[in-house]
Amino acid sequence: MRLELTADLGKLSRIRDFVSEAVATFAVDTAALDDLTVAVDEAVTNILVHGYDGAGDIELEISVSGPDLLVRIRDQAPEFDAKLSPPTALQPPPARNKPGGLGLYLVQNAVDDVSHRVIDGGNELTLIKRNVVGTQSD
Amino acid sequence: MSEDLHIGVSQEDGAKAVTVLRLKGSLDGNTQGTLEAKAREVVDAGAQYMLLDMSGVDYLGSAGMRAIHAITNMLAADGADTGMHSKNLKILSPSPAAAKIFKTLGFDSFIDIHNDIDEAVAAF
Repeated sequence: MRLELTADLGKLSRIRDFVSEAVATFAVDTAALDDLTVAVDEAVTNILVHGYDGAGDIELEISVSGPDLLVRIRDQAPEFDAKLSPPTALQPPPARNKPGGLGLYLVQNAVDDVSHRVIDGGNELTLIKRNVVGTQSD
Repeated sequence: MSEDLHIGVSQEDGAKAVTVLRLKGSLDGNTQGTLEAKAREVVDAGAQYMLLDMSGVDYLGSAGMRAIHAITNMLAADGADTGMHSKNLKILSPSPAAAKIFKTLGFDSFIDIHNDIDEAVAAF
């Protein structure tokens, strides 16, 4: 299933709804759906804020490969590899600095594999959640 | 359907006067500023102790956690909350998904999470 849109932060809820609807068709359990929703929301937020400086075209494609669920997120922003910006150490609230890298940390925790490649005129981020297809109990 | 963030404000009087922000909607990159602005408003009006009722939050992401981090700093600005553990901010009734975000990012180690409002208010 695919979604193409010109996104900004105001479209995040629509993107999460798309993930919910698409993932539901593959009978994925609630915990895995929550993880995938977080991973996509955080990845798209990073693209919008750091890649596009606010808004730009995003393409989402959700598919399965055996028991694994794959999400591909394509953009036309300048090349950006999340792995080149590793999450920073967490800081407790009393620290007066702003915590950075939390989104990437959540992406890497929510899925089993994150890969990035440069495509013609942009980036493709692939998120893989393994062994979740057909795990919904009812 | 997900929705924008709506915030109701009320007060609970226990041993301390606790300002309750009742959040309804999504707490993401689009609504982070809405929460921070409302928190700033009530802190400027004198609120010292704050309870975030998250029972109506259908999505919490890192942007929401950054807002919560900002609120702890607002409440600590008067010097009352300078330790590792926040004495001025508590969380009420996050969804399982939201509670997982707190745990994954380690915020549950310095912000108390309650599931009963009376217990939460009494804990300040």
